[in-house]
Amino acid sequence: MWLRRLPTDRLARRARAPDDDVPLIVVEPVKSALRVAALDDAAAALGLSRGLPLADVRAMYPAVRVREADHAADRQLLEAVADWCDRYTPLVGLDPPDGLLLDIAGCAHLFGGEEALGRDLAARLTRQGFHVRLGLADTPGCAFAVARCGEARPEMRMVPPRAQRDALAPLPLAALRIEADIVAALAQAGLKRIADIMARPRAPLAARYGTALLRQLDRALGLEDEPIVPRLPLPSYVAERRFPDPIGRHDDVLATIAQLAQDLCAMLERRGEGARLLQVALYRADGKVHRLEAGAGEPLRDPRQMHRLFIERIAVVADACDPGFGYDMVRLSALMAEPLMPEQSGLDAGDDRAALAHLIDRLSARFGAQRLTRPLPRDTHVPERAVAAVPAQAVPDAVRLARTTPEDARSEDARSEWRLQDSLAPLRPLRLLAPPEQVEVINEVPDGAPARFTWRKRVHHVRAAEGPERIAMEWWNMEWGSDGPPVLPRDYFRVESREGLRAWLFRQDVHVTDEAGNRTGTTLPRWFVHGLFA
Amino acid sequence: MTAGAPATLHRLRQAVARIEGQQMVVDPAHPLLPLGIAAIDRHLQGGLMPMSLHEIAPATAWDLAAASGFAMRLAASLAQTRPGGETLWVQTGFAAQEAGGLYGPGCEPFGLSVARLLILAVPRPIDALWAMEEALRSRALTGVVAELPNDGRLADLTATRRLLLAAREGGTVGLLLRHRASPLTSAADTRWQVAAAPGEADRFGGLGPPAWVLSLVKNRRGATGRWRVVCNPAASISGSAGRSAAIHRVTGDRHAFAVPALSLGVAAAAADRPAGAPRARAG
Repeated sequence: MWLRRLPTDRLARRARAPDDDVPLIVVEPVKSALRVAALDDAAAALGLSRGLPLADVRAMYPAVRVREADHAADRQLLEAVADWCDRYTPLVGLDPPDGLLLDIAGCAHLFGGEEALGRDLAARLTRQGFHVRLGLADTPGCAFAVARCGEARPEMRMVPPRAQRDALAPLPLAALRIEADIVAALAQAGLKRIADIMARPRAPLAARYGTALLRQLDRALGLEDEPIVPRLPLPSYVAERRFPDPIGRHDDVLATIAQLAQDLCAMLERRGEGARLLQVALYRADGKVHRLEAGAGEPLRDPRQMHRLFIERIAVVADACDPGFGYDMVRLSALMAEPLMPEQSGLDAGDDRAALAHLIDRLSARFGAQRLTRPLPRDTHVPERAVAAVPAQAVPDAVRLARTTPEDARSEDARSEWRLQDSLAPLRPLRLLAPPEQVEVINEVPDGAPARFTWRKRVHHVRAAEGPERIAMEWWNMEWGSDGPPVLPRDYFRVESREGLRAWLFRQDVHVTDEAGNRTGTTLPRWFVHGLFA
Repeated sequence: MTAGAPATLHRLRQAVARIEGQQMVVDPAHPLLPLGIAAIDRHLQGGLMPMSLHEIAPATAWDLAAASGFAMRLAASLAQTRPGGETLWVQTGFAAQEAGGLYGPGCEPFGLSVARLLILAVPRPIDALWAMEEALRSRALTGVVAELPNDGRLADLTATRRLLLAAREGGTVGLLLRHRASPLTSAADTRWQVAAAPGEADRFGGLGPPAWVLSLVKNRRGATGRWRVVCNPAASISGSAGRSAAIHRVTGDRHAFAVPALSLGVAAAAADRPAGAPRARAG
């Protein structure tokens, strides 16, 4: 597919009052002179072409509108169109700067045939304001050539299957996507059309002009494979619904998702799999696509649960997702699927672990997977790093722990009770302040426990204290200066104030630096409160 | 059997019992949760109501850690009523910054295994209430604790009524932990105020187990009261070292300090005990 006038179409789409009469050209600096990079149909009708210097154009036609080239915006627009073309086939590849390659091998029958698909695509794109020319052939190379080079009408050119040779023969050599200097060299030798090359022996051509020429020819003829690199990952299962009359209401969208979930689960059940990552793609009538994703911690096959996940998800992004003129296609796809064996649940309503997994999925869909975490212990002494907050969806083991029989679970709880009674393990506070807050401390002995500390503008008199517990910072994780570790160990104290407040204080000696930033040999103690005990 | 059947059965049984003029029948699947202290349990008619909402607030801002400890202790007892029971702790970002976030290794002394704890950090207090309602309604958890910063103005009568209904539907217990005691009426079953009290030294001269002063400010099914309790970290009920003495029963507004310490030991798994077995006295 060739978007003939992509830069000018981009500008024209944005203009509120389309000025068809005034020609529009896009210029870019080439070798320190502004030259024409793209033009619209009106400018082409005047006889302008690419590469003309801007000064000449202005001299000839002073009324022409000129804009600067913006390749990034063109690229973004091309990608947006590629995303939209996803509704026809998942295999859409970019062909920069202004083309797209669609592989419609298995999808054409869904739209009533290849010709019908092409006509639908061309019609929709034209309605969106693009000038498009389609080429349909067995190989990408042939389709490219047929779309770009050739007569202006008809807008869609179809090459019958296995007829690439005849279609390619009359086309110029530039249609094979080879370098411009090779094309010039071949023109000097008198070879201007593809038919000329096809007839010649291959070895001298390869020796003179390189193997790229022959490779492109083979690819265009279908003798060699040329894969299309799809932009988005291919989903494993897809269920979609098209609406001749676009829908926009919130409830309609949710009802559609519920029906699609039923279809999707039927597909999943046939293969014995469950979905781990689901995506809903809402295609707007004017070309924009909204995609929403929801993940599940365990493979999911229940349509009602899928529906609930997307209720939460849509509730979060409801403001950002504006239906515009309505959605004319809704697609539910399972991007990631895992095998799921059917299980016999008990006769009583004790299906707790499935309910727990579903609750975790729903809360993660609503707030984001990073907010619902399990604290897992890490192998380090430093208190603020001793616990890793792992997203609960990514820790299925804890849920699978509950899959054990009640006897196993009870014995495991009993074992953990025994572990909890280990009185030699150092006690840790219930609440941890991040970062630790500095306090003013008065103590009797410089290295000893505090006698009084001032925290958050209140003086607490210490009644009893325990400690010190020395926790050294991990020397293997820090960068060392030339004179020793930069961070000195901390001495932790558990203190109880006269009112009963129990806090976890620590003293850290900090190096004293002078104005130049060098360390003097002395250290000053600084006290912090790190946590609170119950 | 539909998923809502047990709760419906329980309600029908209660209705029948009321019609027949008997006392309330306890659902064997959801027993009352005793705190393990005889005096308090008598006030609560046997224990904390299951499938309902309870509120906990600190007496002053400095007692928030003590209130969290009490909430954690209750959550741990709840988690042990069901094998594999999980607990959800909901915290707003502001609450975590002001008073400290929940620290996993600090939950172990209260009897809650870290592998059965889920922590949810929500951006706003209204999200915390929503998450608590959703979690209570699903039957997946044994206890849900939600922390509301400031005085939790959002949890007024209608909001707490919704939470109570969600708890009844899901068979879970909800604990609402406010950062400041609030004068708002609420539909919670009981309302506690926790203040930290100086504890006793242990046998080495260090800090003993934490001591709190629990005030039962509102009790739907009984009188209010105030007690000083000690939370023994990992002592079983039979082996606790407490002294027993006469406890003054308090009614109404007259408070009397119960002098000796009552211990709130780790309860054995209630699934082992048939309902109605005599409970070992602590202290």
